[in-house]
Amino acid sequence: MVWTQDSDPIERLHRTARSTRDMIIHTDATRWEMFAKASTLREMVFEPDPPLEVSVVHETGVAVRMTGHGEAGFGAASGLEAQAARVAVEAAGSSLAALPFDPLPPARLLGCTPVAPPRHLPGSAWASHVAEALTRGVLQASGSTLLIRRLTFQEGTYAWLLATGDGFVASQRDATLSLLVELAPRSGDRIPHHEWVWVQRPDDFDPEAIAAQMCNRAILAGGPPVSRDGLFDILLHPEVGAHLLASLSTLFLPTPEERDPLTRLMDRNGRLGSEALTLTDDRSAADCPPVAPCDGEGLPTGRHILLDHGVPRHRLACHFEAQLHGEPTRGGARRLSYRDYPTTGIGALRVSPDPGIPPAQLLKDAGKSLYLLRLVAPVMADPATDSFRLRAQGVWLDGGAVEGFQPLVEVSGALSLLLRRTEAVGTDLAWYQTKAGFVEAPTLFITCQRVTE
Amino acid sequence: MQATNTREPAFDRRWLEALAQWCQKGQEADAGLVDLYLERRLELRLHVRRSARWVEECRTEGAAVRTRTDLRHEIVAATGTSPKTIAHLLSGPLDTRELHLQRPLPPPDLDAPRGWRDTAEAWVDATSLSDATVFLFERRAAIIQPGQWREIHTPLLIRLQTPTPSSSSLLATWDHADLPRWAPLVNARSQRRVWRPSSGERLPVVFTSGTSGVVMHELVGHLLEGDVLSGGGSPLEDGEASIVGPPTLSVTDDPTRFDLPGAFTSDDEGVEAEPITLLSGGVVCGALCDRFTADALGHAPGRGRRAAWNQAPVPRMSNLVVPKGQTDPQALENDLRNGLVITRLSGASVEPRSGRVILRVEEGWELRHGRRRRALAPFDLGGNVLGILKLIDPDLGDDPTPDWRLGWCLKAGLPLPTGSEAPTILVRSLEVV
Repeated sequence: MVWTQDSDPIERLHRTARSTRDMIIHTDATRWEMFAKASTLREMVFEPDPPLEVSVVHETGVAVRMTGHGEAGFGAASGLEAQAARVAVEAAGSSLAALPFDPLPPARLLGCTPVAPPRHLPGSAWASHVAEALTRGVLQASGSTLLIRRLTFQEGTYAWLLATGDGFVASQRDATLSLLVELAPRSGDRIPHHEWVWVQRPDDFDPEAIAAQMCNRAILAGGPPVSRDGLFDILLHPEVGAHLLASLSTLFLPTPEERDPLTRLMDRNGRLGSEALTLTDDRSAADCPPVAPCDGEGLPTGRHILLDHGVPRHRLACHFEAQLHGEPTRGGARRLSYRDYPTTGIGALRVSPDPGIPPAQLLKDAGKSLYLLRLVAPVMADPATDSFRLRAQGVWLDGGAVEGFQPLVEVSGALSLLLRRTEAVGTDLAWYQTKAGFVEAPTLFITCQRVTE
Repeated sequence: MQATNTREPAFDRRWLEALAQWCQKGQEADAGLVDLYLERRLELRLHVRRSARWVEECRTEGAAVRTRTDLRHEIVAATGTSPKTIAHLLSGPLDTRELHLQRPLPPPDLDAPRGWRDTAEAWVDATSLSDATVFLFERRAAIIQPGQWREIHTPLLIRLQTPTPSSSSLLATWDHADLPRWAPLVNARSQRRVWRPSSGERLPVVFTSGTSGVVMHELVGHLLEGDVLSGGGSPLEDGEASIVGPPTLSVTDDPTRFDLPGAFTSDDEGVEAEPITLLSGGVVCGALCDRFTADALGHAPGRGRRAAWNQAPVPRMSNLVVPKGQTDPQALENDLRNGLVITRLSGASVEPRSGRVILRVEEGWELRHGRRRRALAPFDLGGNVLGILKLIDPDLGDDPTPDWRLGWCLKAGLPLPTGSEAPTILVRSLEVV
């Protein structure tokens, strides 16, 4: 059965929940939970010449966790309603195994936070209008030196429902919209750049402004070559900062005590980062890409302050992992898909600029510094050994003026010093999709880091 | 109407035949229908975390329809393989009003091997790891094109993954004879890491214990994939009939090797599995293509592979095999006055446009006067693809060894099981990054 964009999937999800319940009551399970999801992802790829490439994926599925008599099982099946519910319940039943704790959170912990109403996708003409406007904007902003080689629109609609045998029910319906832009020099002499742009409100989307932002970064990456090494102050573009922070997200997840690196990374005053660094995780905020009234296990979402002016405050812990590590349950369960067991993860990590400095001012005040524009390899950060390594393209600045471009530069050293030397954050917050989840980061200014060619 | 083998059918074969006839109508109506793909998967996971062990069972199925016209290439995919789902998917190019009335026989259940859990637990215990996850993957699929259909069978796979990023994982076919020997090696740490060569240093490097297969995967396999070639981004694109490696070096992509993880009976576009020689006597002589890049490049198709039912097929490797040479691998080490021997890689990547390859060394040894001295700490080796191929020593080892660690290949973020088997190879100079 296919869910079309016009139909209401929530009713089908409720029917699936009823079917699941009707099947589980005939088993030995004493407690259970079901999660069902329906989503449609549509991608359209525009290139200068036809053909237009279109991909549409309708996906539905249901997952069941059930426990009883000291055993627990997890089963998932694609589809919805009676047939999928039957397969999922049977799969959960056949995977029952002894577990020394109850993996389902107690009913008293469950609840929902009021969240903003669902977002909607723009009309069908929006994509072609934006494609034209962005193409024009890039030509104007770059003086016809850059062009868009490929423009991918990613539109998603989804709905999910979480229900438990204790009578708790939560659901959410929403839409997401993003663009992936491949920008290349008209001369073809350099590797193309890729820009991911999340569209919060299609009505307010300004293609010319986005085109100008993308061109600024691409043009900076083509200046006269300069190569330096030594100790320098560095600035991180928001995208670089987002991936760096994502690589640190494990510091805020449950960890066995003997392997916990946090205690070794903190200074004698219990400080992990500088005064300027405040990090929160909040999936209930209206301006987040993934808005949810509760986490993947049904605990209410909210604004969790992970790092408060450099001091660690809160650690996420889904019920299952909290039980596993002997910690209290603190929320943050995430389901990567209906097929996956809920695990702790960041949902919407954001830097809170308090108050923050406009990025132009930051770049000017930084003096002689290296501005890391774009990563050329994944961030290597190992809290266990207190080390990190960033490989990126960067431009050398002096008082905000560009001195030259370094196509490959490595910044490495102690992770603890990197965090404690983050002296200022910008106000240019932007969302990025990272391997750890969504991260909203601004330009970051960090002093005295080792830079090598 | 090809039933390619005597394996258990993935779907009701009369139903597949009916769908093939239905698609034939689509072709006659000039609707641009390319194919209809059906897939069912079973994924079992055994998690071990300290004292807790639990199992997850996941059953999925889905279908996808591809259409192509001059102005639009489209793939529409949906969960399920029921007549109703397929009727909906085909309703764009076809009149499917009667299709959803069909009643195909339910396909046989995908079942795990008897006692899989006990066997998997024994492997985890053999690793001495306190935290590990064992995945078991079973996949059956069918591809339907106008007037014909074909079932796709792949081997049952096992993957053992550790939560520690620095530890290797394992990917192998479930019934591989060496599996009980490999499992304890996942967590084997026979040495204290004491030494790392200086960045920028150039040294001769011996790749042994299957690591040379990973090197060839990056140097040859990815750069001869049809989409990379047709995009004009491969350093090997001008290499056909030109010498890029030593005359003793041949490389074949072989999906018929069912002892390796990348095997299949037919690719995901319905082309029967056959080996493709990529490099023969050091000369480029083939490419890995799906149907569309094959047309554009003038090569044979047969490597259109899908990461899942909801993805379009793209050119991907299956099992990269390098035939053995005649040299004792020990002799390759003994002849080096100063160099490195690599016994384990934790990852590798290649950037086609720049032709730059990076090999992440996890374990190995410093070689001094032909003897293994200090153990290596993790570091990266790098270089230019064409430069490295030219520096491969013509004396290849006589020890073909499958790689069981790095088969889970990522391309554009999409993982796919691949395999490799290669003998010990000496690269006369590689740069320490």
